[in-house]
Amino acid sequence: MPIQNFAISLDLVNRHYQEPNRNRYESRYFWEQLYPLIATSGFSAIEIPYEPVWQFGGRSGVPFNRYCVNTKYGDAAGYRAALAERGIARVTGITFDPNLFMRNANIDFFFGASGHFAGEALAHAADMGADYFAISPSPYYGRALHYHPDLEAQREAFTARTVSLLSGLAAKAQDLGVALVLRNEYWGLFRGEAILPLLAALPETVKLDVDTASLQIAGVAPADFIAANITRIGCVHLTDTAFVDNDETWKTANPEFPERRATQVFRDPGTGTVDLPGIAAQLASVGYAGPVTLSARQTRDPFRALLRTRALLNQLQN
Amino acid sequence: MPNIRYANMCHWKSIPYRQIPNFRDFYYEDNTNTAYYSDWDSILKYQAALGFTGIEIAPWDLADILPLFGSPEAFTAFAAERGVEVIGMFHGAHASHAADHFDEAVRSGCEAVDTIVKFGGTYMNTCPTQNYFGTGPLSREEVQNCARVMNEIGRYATDRGVKIGLHNEFFCAINLPNHRELIESTDPALVHYCIDTAQISILGEDLCTFYEDYHDRISTFHLKDTASANQPDSVRYAQDPEITDSGHRWFWEPGLGTLDLPGLYRLLKKHEFKGWMSVEYDGSPDLLASMALTRYHLDTVLRPIYD
Repeated sequence: MPIQNFAISLDLVNRHYQEPNRNRYESRYFWEQLYPLIATSGFSAIEIPYEPVWQFGGRSGVPFNRYCVNTKYGDAAGYRAALAERGIARVTGITFDPNLFMRNANIDFFFGASGHFAGEALAHAADMGADYFAISPSPYYGRALHYHPDLEAQREAFTARTVSLLSGLAAKAQDLGVALVLRNEYWGLFRGEAILPLLAALPETVKLDVDTASLQIAGVAPADFIAANITRIGCVHLTDTAFVDNDETWKTANPEFPERRATQVFRDPGTGTVDLPGIAAQLASVGYAGPVTLSARQTRDPFRALLRTRALLNQLQN
Repeated sequence: MPNIRYANMCHWKSIPYRQIPNFRDFYYEDNTNTAYYSDWDSILKYQAALGFTGIEIAPWDLADILPLFGSPEAFTAFAAERGVEVIGMFHGAHASHAADHFDEAVRSGCEAVDTIVKFGGTYMNTCPTQNYFGTGPLSREEVQNCARVMNEIGRYATDRGVKIGLHNEFFCAINLPNHRELIESTDPALVHYCIDTAQISILGEDLCTFYEDYHDRISTFHLKDTASANQPDSVRYAQDPEITDSGHRWFWEPGLGTLDLPGLYRLLKKHEFKGWMSVEYDGSPDLLASMALTRYHLDTVLRPIYD
């Protein structure tokens, strides 16, 4: 596997949660100073989370949706040129999760807004020349349960609407030449191996996105999952964790922040307990040639995380 | 009881925990200050310790706060246990200038009032319609549409013990040419005004003159300083000017900008203002440091003038 082609996700910047100096993440200058640092760390490809929230309220300095990119760079081509000038040759993927739209008791609002913005994000992925569009098919289970206490009773209907939404996206993705992949975070309705029946209900063009830490937290061995589903894997996220979900944190309203015992769920790649070297070797041994993205989600220090991730890759190369 | 009580207009970004039960262990995971900015328990204690005994919540935080606490009432009780009361919530009256949006703008405003009542708050500072860019300039009729929406929300709010206060940003479609026209087109019995000291100064109003002219309409303040008063149309009417590309800050802690805040306090004394003043730190890199700096300036410069 050509390790030099591995991408790193911009989710390593903590733009949503409070910490000193967080405000700089909302200005254009921060990102344009970051790109050369990413390149210097040995990454020439990035993944971008698609976040409509930055469109609301005019915070267009965060280049995470079409509105922001068009506001600051004219269009996707302008943004890609700005990235290239700073050493980033490619955007390999765009991710999208619908949590923002799980905010009231109106399920039609959730599916309507999620469908609208997911479609926009998919088109943006094509404009950015991305290989894949990774969508989380479910919001946080606990957040959905807060607004929809009858969620379990409605699971079948919720799943059917999810299939409908994803099927529409699958057709559009095929037209656009972007691979649609399903990311199965540990907090969703389709966590762990529950993603498989959902996948089976979708067109063959839809693939799996293996998120290693999420699988491990959900109690599924990533290596076994990869071995069992290799023909349907369209993307791999090498994420790390040391978290063990002993008390159903995944069902809580804010599952990335375990309420009974605070901890950093996602660790910088190489600092948790996921056997990332073993998984990389496994992928190479089975001839996997699809995208691989490293994610330092929740890192305490994005610049340290860049170097830690590079150190991990150097270890893989050796 | 002092004449002025101080609150914090909440600009903390998402706070993921209610309370961290294993604070020391969490700290030792990485030896960083993350633990100090991750739970409402600490945030509210910072406020109480620094004498900011009210909190004005932000509507964009509701989707996080409500699932975390279960209900507005639960958040209010949690804050009260730490010496902080919810005084109100900000509201954006999107598209209130558009005649065909009247019903939706009023409905949304009334829902926000209902939410504030559940939190036990009594103020709803309301931005009349959206940014100038893409919307302005407004016609006289559109300004009147805004006024009609504000009056209607104000009537609903007043009946429920909530005061709505117009709150103008420097980049809104309601801007220098029609700022006072809107105020004077609303019913003084139903619609009040929240002076954001920095925003109206950047807009082009003279802070002390404006307060002198409208002191009997003022319900609350958003107190902050600026070193960028009287910005030209090209800045105020630009696309998304609030967050600058360069990191230039519009807003500073009281005393670190150029506003005549002592002059304002002399007028507050003259007109015997009584009520809440929310200190606001948008744009600060360190909200806790800003809160402490503000408390020092209040205690040594402003409160000696009028308390």
